Amino acid sequence: MERKRSDDYESGPLPSPRALDRFGFVKPDANTSEGVAKTNRSAYEYEKIKERRRVRKWRKMIGVGGSDWKHYLRKKPNVVKRRIRKGIPDCLRGLVWQLISGSRDLLLMNPGVYEQLVIYETSASELDIIRDISRTFPSHVFFQQRHGPGQRSLYNVLKAYSVFDRDVGYVQGMGFLAGLLLLYMSEEDAFWLLVALLKGAVHAPMEGLYLAGLPLVQQYLFQFERLVREHLPKLGEHFSEEMINPSMYASQWFITVFSYSFPFHLALRIWDVFLYEGVKIVFKVGLALLKYCHDDLVKLPFEKLIHGLKNFSEDAMNPDTLLPLAYSIKITKRLEELKLEYEKKNGKITRSREISENEKPILPSIQSN
Amino acid sequence: MSRRGDEEYDYLFKVVLIGDSGVGKSNILSRFTRNEFCLESKSTIGVEFATRTLEVEGRTVKSQIWDTAGQERYRAITSAYYRGALGALLVYDVTKPTTFDNVTRWLKELRDHADANIVIMLIGNKTDLRHLRAVNTEDAQSYAEREGLSFIETSALEATNVEKAFQTILGEIYRIISKKSLSSSNDSAAAANIKEGKTIAIGGSETATTNKPCCTS
Repeated sequence: MERKRSDDYESGPLPSPRALDRFGFVKPDANTSEGVAKTNRSAYEYEKIKERRRVRKWRKMIGVGGSDWKHYLRKKPNVVKRRIRKGIPDCLRGLVWQLISGSRDLLLMNPGVYEQLVIYETSASELDIIRDISRTFPSHVFFQQRHGPGQRSLYNVLKAYSVFDRDVGYVQGMGFLAGLLLLYMSEEDAFWLLVALLKGAVHAPMEGLYLAGLPLVQQYLFQFERLVREHLPKLGEHFSEEMINPSMYASQWFITVFSYSFPFHLALRIWDVFLYEGVKIVFKVGLALLKYCHDDLVKLPFEKLIHGLKNFSEDAMNPDTLLPLAYSIKITKRLEELKLEYEKKNGKITRSREISENEKPILPSIQSN
Repeated sequence: MSRRGDEEYDYLFKVVLIGDSGVGKSNILSRFTRNEFCLESKSTIGVEFATRTLEVEGRTVKSQIWDTAGQERYRAITSAYYRGALGALLVYDVTKPTTFDNVTRWLKELRDHADANIVIMLIGNKTDLRHLRAVNTEDAQSYAEREGLSFIETSALEATNVEKAFQTILGEIYRIISKKSLSSSNDSAAAANIKEGKTIAIGGSETATTNKPCCTS
């Protein structure tokens, strides 16, 4: 598939109307066998019926514009958790994501701030951001048109964030977070959700994934490696024999919360749970993938193993089997212990990072919690 | 092109692809290993890996190539992959002078983290964008000479010189390795290992790329 590069700075042509999937991604090959298309269609019909039922329940639960949400959440947190784990209806996803991540509150507390960041501030990362814009979800129709609305929104959100938090600035990978959010909400909403995640409005802040030294990536990889050895000892042993470490396959999982290379319908289901329950689900899904493919993986030598870890089979990535498997893996307590162990091991680094976090200038009205 | 997994080879060389973000590292790799080029490619997050086996100086050489994210902050993860590498392809974009200016910083990065005798090749990529060229071939050539690097210009898009770049660096590595095993007192043992297809390129680090280290380069 070769096309000529164009390097002018005008809006590019609209992408040709190639076949899209239901999320707006260009299908890899529109002429794939009929059989596949048929099974997809019937699955789609079934999904639609299920979805309609779910939407009714959900509408009741959140109320108009989310007015009943907090009340319901206080009253029945376990019902909320159960329903989220089954998947948020796609038509309500954007709104619910904002409610569960706490970004709605940030938005309301900071009127006009986003506009200020986009219009009046300049960022040292502008060129870095521009360079990656067309390399973020390049197969999604919304982001394909050169300088089109999708690419412009993506640029604005990332630039605004790089100004808002100059210590993080812009780091490759953040674009996939922003891009995923932009498919479900406006620029300003996406920006505040990014703030909520990185600054930790509800869960532990994620900014360490992107700060200099990528400290949180290193910590998560350490924790993940240990969890693999504890939960899947045979595979863990095989990994160390083959000299496989999680930085070879799992850094993308954490840095982009599975949005980089996983099927979009799976990424969305993971995000539903991720926003409500936190980063734990990334570990659980990672372990579930390894568990599901365990018997194949333990047989593979180094090169095939790496390939296998980057290209899971389609049935391994079916949300309806993978997620229940992920939910069944209990790691909360162990994850916390491993975090302490890691911090002890890297004591100095952690302490100096905390100091710089406290000194960080945060916009006056933002409560860092 | 299909390759059998249990193929035989005389040598196994680990090579890293480094350089600023957006210079075309991943497309150089996909051109070399799969003869593919993708204009709509995603930026690399972390590291990617691919291999190809080819004839170099009459020997079957398997190259294991690690492609790394170019953004500076990712060096926290990617620099671990320099260890044990016998070769590094340091790529810049002939249309972006800053990516050439940064070559010096990448060399320092290699000096800090890679083995001292790593073979380095400087690659100016995207020569297909003729009207946008901003780095002279001569300037890059003389820089490479001063620094003792091999140098070549490529276009991953037009498939120009990509094959040659890998042939050259793998050939250089081969010459160094074979000289070493000749001068080694344990000559016959080393030769035996080579025949069995064992690896030559292990730094003994946790990120080294194969499981059966036999000797260090």
